[in-house]
Amino acid sequence: MKKLKTFGAALIGLFLLGSCELNELDNYDGPNATISGGIYDVDTGELLQQDIINGMQIEYVEHGFENPQIQRMIVKTDGTYRNNLMFAGTYTIQVVRGNFQPVEPEEIKVEGNTVKNFEVRPYIRIRDAVIERQDNKIVATFNLSQTVTNQVSRLGLFVHEEPNVGEPLNQLASVVNFNAVSNDVTRYSLEINLDANAAVLQSGKEYYFRVGALIDAPEAKYNYAPAVRIGI
Amino acid sequence: MRTRSIKYLYIVLLTGIFASCSNDYLDLDPTNKVPAEAVLSDPNGIRSYMANLYYELPIEDFVYFPRAGFNARGNTGSMSLSQYGLEAIHSEWPNWNQFNNQWWERGYKLNRDINLLEESVAKVEFSDAERAQLEGEIAFLRGYTYFALARRYGGVPLITENQEYTTDWESLRVPRNTEKQTWDFVLQQLDIAIEKLPEDRLSLDETKRRATKWAAAGLKVRAALHAASVAKYWDRAPLSGEAVSANLVGLPAAAASGYYQAVIETSESIMASGKFGLYRPEPGSPEEAAQNYQALFMDPNNALDEVLFMRGYGHAGGPLAHDYDGWNNPSQTGEGFPHTGRTNPVMELIDRYERYDNPGTEAPIVTTTDGQVHEGEFDPSLDYIRYASPEEIFQGKDARFFASIIHSGSLWKGTEIVIQGGVVRPDGSLLSAQGSVEHDGVTYYTYGGENANQYSGYDGTPNKTRTGFLMKKFLDEEARINTWLQSTTDFMDIRYAEVLLSYAEAVVESGQGNTAVATQALNDIRKRAGHTVDIPLTLENVLRERKVELAFENKEYWDLIRRREYHEIFNNYVKTALVPLLDLRGPEPAYIFVRKNVPGAQPNTFPERDYYRGIPGVNNNGLIQNPQH
Repeated sequence: MKKLKTFGAALIGLFLLGSCELNELDNYDGPNATISGGIYDVDTGELLQQDIINGMQIEYVEHGFENPQIQRMIVKTDGTYRNNLMFAGTYTIQVVRGNFQPVEPEEIKVEGNTVKNFEVRPYIRIRDAVIERQDNKIVATFNLSQTVTNQVSRLGLFVHEEPNVGEPLNQLASVVNFNAVSNDVTRYSLEINLDANAAVLQSGKEYYFRVGALIDAPEAKYNYAPAVRIGI
Repeated sequence: MRTRSIKYLYIVLLTGIFASCSNDYLDLDPTNKVPAEAVLSDPNGIRSYMANLYYELPIEDFVYFPRAGFNARGNTGSMSLSQYGLEAIHSEWPNWNQFNNQWWERGYKLNRDINLLEESVAKVEFSDAERAQLEGEIAFLRGYTYFALARRYGGVPLITENQEYTTDWESLRVPRNTEKQTWDFVLQQLDIAIEKLPEDRLSLDETKRRATKWAAAGLKVRAALHAASVAKYWDRAPLSGEAVSANLVGLPAAAASGYYQAVIETSESIMASGKFGLYRPEPGSPEEAAQNYQALFMDPNNALDEVLFMRGYGHAGGPLAHDYDGWNNPSQTGEGFPHTGRTNPVMELIDRYERYDNPGTEAPIVTTTDGQVHEGEFDPSLDYIRYASPEEIFQGKDARFFASIIHSGSLWKGTEIVIQGGVVRPDGSLLSAQGSVEHDGVTYYTYGGENANQYSGYDGTPNKTRTGFLMKKFLDEEARINTWLQSTTDFMDIRYAEVLLSYAEAVVESGQGNTAVATQALNDIRKRAGHTVDIPLTLENVLRERKVELAFENKEYWDLIRRREYHEIFNNYVKTALVPLLDLRGPEPAYIFVRKNVPGAQPNTFPERDYYRGIPGVNNNGLIQNPQH
């Protein structure tokens, strides 16, 4: 009882100590808007495949603040994104460090459920990718068409149990250092031997296979074809 | 009861009213602190103040852990920097790679203490010689402090004068200098130190533990090599953003040549001084080389010729001792310390140690009769090489392997260290969980012993290695460690071998300097390790030699960072272990070895932005943040 009274007295003291405007509550409103959309190929209109780990990012800065911080979103493997905890307002927004030619920042107004799509030109398009089993091998064949004159530094076939497979997330990969400019006509191929990798690729299980190509440009990320599910 | 509670309320009310918004009421001089002027107006005061600055110096030694910070003692987990690169992994936390970002604040506190000292030294009477020494020492401490800031954050605000507190915030907000200006400032401070500091001090002890001309030169070599490498290899992991556009991080490629030149000139002056040499440079045999090399780290005081700068420890049981022995002894020789076996060397390091019969090239451990390096779980259909004893597989390796690493079958403190990951039953099935196999009337236990104190590996508990190896370097084989803070082994921060290796690297990377001298420097280090065949000066040879010679000395992590190799290695990467198994399939039990991913370790990917750490508190200090932080 005595303890309780002492505690009560201390509480009152605290309130008094708080008389220097320390008792104002944080009564700001919570996030009240959403933003969503995708990264689209400006020429084909298709969604551009991405990585989640170490992938491209969307950077946005809210207007109306002194010394504002850059905020960042990541993008899903299929090239779409969503943030349900946005504050309505005006932002400068930019897609950066991606697998596409750099684009300029834009100003957007976010309110309610805002949809914002980005149109970009991918460094490399991986066309007509076919990934299939041939005897004891998984073989990927594909065409490349690049939109810049840089060299293609690497080609890779990546495998994982998760559909988010890619260069930063794989259990097994067949990567070649290409270091040349690709052409539109050659049918490129990569393969993975199932016998040699039986410890990783267990028979009876299904895995996702995804083909990627990396351009030689600063901070560039892999371009991909969609992942393909194959049972071993 | 009631009157009492009213009395309480009354007191509290009064206190509250007095305390509310009063400004000068608490403005008293503290009586439990000595004001700065009293200490810093006296030469003896300045000397004791100096001692604390050395304590705060960012030396990455036995009490530095990336997760806990500098001067970290107690239950740190002993997650040392060697576990963050390709040297080792932690027995309990194989997936941790966390960095504590406290150095920004502590660095600038230290910087402020240095500035205060400089301000005071100018006002106190000293002889000219004493004054020059103090000025040199201040430049050394400042150079060391900014070196630690620069390699973590890139360009930082250069604050060389004490800031007076004021409510004019803007005047206290000093913007960042460029990374180039910051490195140039570090080198310039070390040049002042080299010019003003004495070559020797009153005693040998003091000479090696307090800044000298040669300590400053050694640090300059290290700093210039870092800057040169960042300039040369920036393009391997370029970053973008405001900090890059303003050159706050990043160095132009054209700057590399000048920094390499600084490495070369400074190393040459150290080599020409005649004051330094390798400890016992010409051993008679690899065995002798291993003994010498082990002794060098067990007690550097026996090898002071090799030391440019070291940090001393003492007073077992007190705050100036450390716990490296306790944390890292094999479980079998734990002697009562509550934690053992934490630093577990990985195959990425073991493979780099050469064999004497094939000098000049790394010697990966081959476990199968086809001579190929096989990785993966135990496969009964593979033809593993069978060894009668568990240490045979390592025969012929570089002496430094045996002096730096405890392996299965090592003799340590008179005990044979048992590291075994399982038993292959006569039918070819593997027992890797706790248990035993009866065969021909003998009982074989999974981990090589019936009780946990009879073996040192693989049972999955934090006190046992999970890679098949334990760290030996620095551990005192004579010591008995049964409680905290019993280790007093000194730490060589800068030793002659590092200078030689940095020289060799700068020569081979830049094409400047003297190739013959650099080749000899490289081979002198190898000769000390029992090698008899000279190898040519190539980048590959220099980097391998550096990795092997400086293993566990907290240098390799920074080598991977400055050369921008870290992100290429740690890209979905799992480190590798060596699992010794007792194979009962043949007429006699034999040891076979399986190379596989470290059990429990998950793939590790390094984000390139972490080549620079984020700057804390940019909202308040108004600094431009590092890319993507």
